[in-house]
Amino acid sequence: MSTETETATRTEEARIPSGSPEYWRCVDFLLDEAAALDGNRFEDWLGMLHPEIDYRAPIRVTRERAAGPGFSSEGYHFLENRDSLQTRVDRLATDFAWAEDPPSRTRRFLTNFRVCSVEETDDLRVRSNMLLYRERLDETRQQLLVGKREDDLRELDGALRLVRRLVLLDHSILMTPNLGIFL
Amino acid sequence: MYKTEPEVVRFLNEFDGALERGTIPMRAFNDAELHELELDRIFTRAWVFLGHESEIPARGDYVQRRIGRDPFVLVRSEDGEIRALFDSCRHRGAMVCRAERGNAALFRCPYHGWTYMNTGALAGAPLLKDAYGSELDKSKMGLYAAPHLESLHGFIFASLDADAPSLDEYLGDMKWHLDMIWGQCELGWEVIGEPQRTVLAANWKAPADNFSGDDYHTVYLHRSTTETGIMENPEGDSDLWDGYHVQLGNGHHFIRNMIPPDVPGPRFLGYPEEVQKLFSPSMLGEEQYEGLKQTVGLVGSVFPNFGFLSFPFKHDRSADFVATMSVRVFEPRAAGEMVAWTWTLCPKGVSEEFRRESYRTTMGTFSAAGTFEQDDSDPWMSITRAAGATYARKVGMQLDYRMGMNGTASSRRVDDYPGPGVAYYSVLEEGGQRGFHRRWLQFMRSDDYPPRMTPEEQNAGAGVAGRNGDG
Repeated sequence: MSTETETATRTEEARIPSGSPEYWRCVDFLLDEAAALDGNRFEDWLGMLHPEIDYRAPIRVTRERAAGPGFSSEGYHFLENRDSLQTRVDRLATDFAWAEDPPSRTRRFLTNFRVCSVEETDDLRVRSNMLLYRERLDETRQQLLVGKREDDLRELDGALRLVRRLVLLDHSILMTPNLGIFL
Repeated sequence: MYKTEPEVVRFLNEFDGALERGTIPMRAFNDAELHELELDRIFTRAWVFLGHESEIPARGDYVQRRIGRDPFVLVRSEDGEIRALFDSCRHRGAMVCRAERGNAALFRCPYHGWTYMNTGALAGAPLLKDAYGSELDKSKMGLYAAPHLESLHGFIFASLDADAPSLDEYLGDMKWHLDMIWGQCELGWEVIGEPQRTVLAANWKAPADNFSGDDYHTVYLHRSTTETGIMENPEGDSDLWDGYHVQLGNGHHFIRNMIPPDVPGPRFLGYPEEVQKLFSPSMLGEEQYEGLKQTVGLVGSVFPNFGFLSFPFKHDRSADFVATMSVRVFEPRAAGEMVAWTWTLCPKGVSEEFRRESYRTTMGTFSAAGTFEQDDSDPWMSITRAAGATYARKVGMQLDYRMGMNGTASSRRVDDYPGPGVAYYSVLEEGGQRGFHRRWLQFMRSDDYPPRMTPEEQNAGAGVAGRNGDG
């Protein structure tokens, strides 16, 4: 069980103030990425990922205050690389991915952006809050996925790519019947 | 005991007659009255899975678990014994354990401060002497605890009924199969991480029914996985049906896909050599060792709500197939709501690299985010929705469970199954699912603890299913 709330590797970070061009470049990237996912444009989305992407969402359990926030160090809802994300996207493109056909209607709300530069990797690290609304068919039960994201963006061929995503969900029991969507 | 209303009695009689004909009234999958009766008659009596010893390795380690809807603390007590304590203070009933896991010598009720040892014994309460004088006998005021708790290869089951038979007796011939899977690793097995939990608008019996021998859905519901190479795509469709359905009595069922010794293919559930070395014939003997060696995949269910699954799958399209192992509980919450629990396991002593690959392949295929299981959630919910429909009740809509009943289909009862139980080959039959529902009915109707149910009795009425290989 990890007591860390954020990045697994402690790295030197330098804050990039909001309003600076680099800050907005990162925010624009993440908003475009959210739009690709909300629009079910998964091939476009894969194109925004760095080949070395590390994409994960740890399981969270309720712990006593002294034990920290309860993010698992070994248990994950998602523990993905570029290949496995491709597998998921390929599968969604078949005629038999029933959980997402008809697709969910999703809306991703991203706020509270804080951007840093990471000295060791030259990556830009963006921390943000995520509220993901999901509904499907005529289900009226609210499905929300809420959490904090920590994203590292890396320059590749003149564009930013997502090279690391850590999604720290606020749920110990997922309020959605499956994770047929990307966080 | 929950009172059995005449209407419920009438329904159970109807269910009995329908099951004899190989159908099930759909209402069983979403009915508030039946659900209340299930909580009482099934979940306060059956042996249910609570967790694995590796989740609570040290004294004082605890996790919160459910039996039916009820909250229990599964704890390794100071005396070394594992207990399932009812999470409710003996004074006013408030919960004494508020975290999902941790280590505690004492559980304290926040309301008035009654404090319990991790054995469940009452350690003390504020102002005990002034408040109660000599009225309160501390030795009689411990937390309630499940009267029966047993561990099999680290897998912990409990029953809330003092009259329950031993776990071995309850498992019957399923024990041989659980031994085969989890009893041959010299170092044992361990849970990786914490169980994943997801709430579904589904009746708990929908997945329990699925794990009781529903191979039929694989080729269609999960076709996306063969099309993308996540599951091995059999050359002919028939290969997918090669395998045994083993009825074990008491509502338990086992699906086993085997590869004969002279045919090349995965061994030991597809585990790589470094893991195969950890299995030893010295644990149980040659028969079960050879049995595991020739088994490429399996799915099983222990009545009422425990399922397990192991197959080699591919999560990264460019990588090899990787052995997986998951177990799950279908926690009942309401007639139309359940929580799916998923644990991933690995033999102890494997390399960090394999442990991680097996974990991510297991969770990547059979979990809420799994490329298989996310699609299962869809019909499980829609079955529940339709089962609650007024029209379905009005016309008494029946679900069809006749596959394999009349002896005319290809699946046959066979004598060459290498293990105990009543086996069918191929898997194109639904006897295991009928057996689950027959056992369900027995629990629902029995005022006393339900007696052992043989595979033949599971097929009562549908008797031809138990004999369709004889002709």
